[in-house]
Amino acid sequence: MSKNEQLTDSMFYIMAALTRPRHGYGVMSQIEETSNGAVVIGPASMYTIIKKLLKNEWIYLYDDSDSRRKTYLLTEKGREVLDGDLQVRKLMIKLAEAGLKEAEE
Amino acid sequence: MKKTKYITSGGLAFSEKEDMDKLQRYSNEGWHVKGFKLMGYTLEKGHRSDYIYSIDYRSLAEGDEDEYMDVFASAGWTHIASSADIHLFRAQAGTEPIYTDRDTTVEKYRNSAVSVGKAAVPLVLLTVLAWIGAVMSTGMFNVLTIAAVILTACAVPTAWTALTAYQNKWKAEGKKKTANLAMALPFLILLLGIAAFVWNSDSTGGAIRMLTAMLIGAIAFPAVVWAVMTLSQSIRVKQH
Repeated sequence: MSKNEQLTDSMFYIMAALTRPRHGYGVMSQIEETSNGAVVIGPASMYTIIKKLLKNEWIYLYDDSDSRRKTYLLTEKGREVLDGDLQVRKLMIKLAEAGLKEAEE
Repeated sequence: MKKTKYITSGGLAFSEKEDMDKLQRYSNEGWHVKGFKLMGYTLEKGHRSDYIYSIDYRSLAEGDEDEYMDVFASAGWTHIASSADIHLFRAQAGTEPIYTDRDTTVEKYRNSAVSVGKAAVPLVLLTVLAWIGAVMSTGMFNVLTIAAVILTACAVPTAWTALTAYQNKWKAEGKKKTANLAMALPFLILLLGIAAFVWNSDSTGGAIRMLTAMLIGAIAFPAVVWAVMTLSQSIRVKQH
C-alpha cells in the first residue's frame, strides 16, 4: 500500500485500537464494544491486517511472552499514518455535514 | 466405535462455497467433518448441529500457529483441520464471517493462487522441457515422450487449478473481464492443441503413436489416483 492511499476502514479501526498494547482478541472486542456491535472484524481479516501492519512497520510486537496472545502497539510511523488518515476522514465528514446542512436550508 | 464416512470435494479452487454448503448440510444431518482426505473430507457421526464452515488459505510461519488459532477461537471459529496452507474452521450458524472486508478477501484468494501457482509453474515448465526434448530426440516412442505424457497428465489439471485460483482472486478484486478471459483460456489452448495435432498428423506418422501415448497417460493418471484413494479407504475401514 502506497503512502497516498487511504487506510481501509478495518485497518483504521485496528490501528485506532492499537494506540494501546493489545492482542488480536483484545483488538476485536475493543472495536466491537466501542461501536456497540455495529463494527465487527472477522478473525481472518484481523490476522491478515495485523501481518500487514507489522510488515509496514506501523505496529510492532510489544510482548510475545504468551505465544497465543501476542500484543502489539503502534510505532511512531504508524501513529503518523493514523493521524494523517484521521485528518482526511475529518475533512470528509466536514464536507458531508456542510453539504447536508446546505440541502436542508 | 466411531462411525465415519468419506465425501468428495468439488476441488476448493472450483467450488469452495459449494463444499462449505455441503459440509453444513451434512452437519444438519449429524455428520461432522473432521479432516481432509484425498480429494474430499472425512465425516464423523454425531449429534445434529447447525454449523457453518469456512476455509482460509495462509502460509503460517513457525510459532504463528497458536496466535492464529486463538484469534479464530475467540471469534467463535473452531479449527477443524489443516492441509498444507489450507485451514478449515467451523462455527455456530449466525457467527460473523471470518473475512469482513473486500481488501482482506482479495488477500485470501491471492494466498490461495500463489500457493497453487508455486506448484503449477515448475510443473508446466518441466512438461514443456520434456516435450521439447521428446521432439528433438530421434527415437519416436522413447522414455522422454512417456515422461512428457505423464507430466502433461499432471500439469494440465494443476495448471487449470492455478488458473481457477487466480480467477477467484480477480473475481474478488472485481476484475470480471480478466476473470472471464482466464476462464476461456483452457478451452482456447485445447482448441489450439487439437488444431496443431490435426495439422501435424498430415506430415508425421508418429501422431497415432503420440495419441496412444496421450490416451495411456490420460487414463493412467486418474486410475492411479483412484487406486490410491480406494486403497487408503480400505485401510481406514480396517482400522475401525
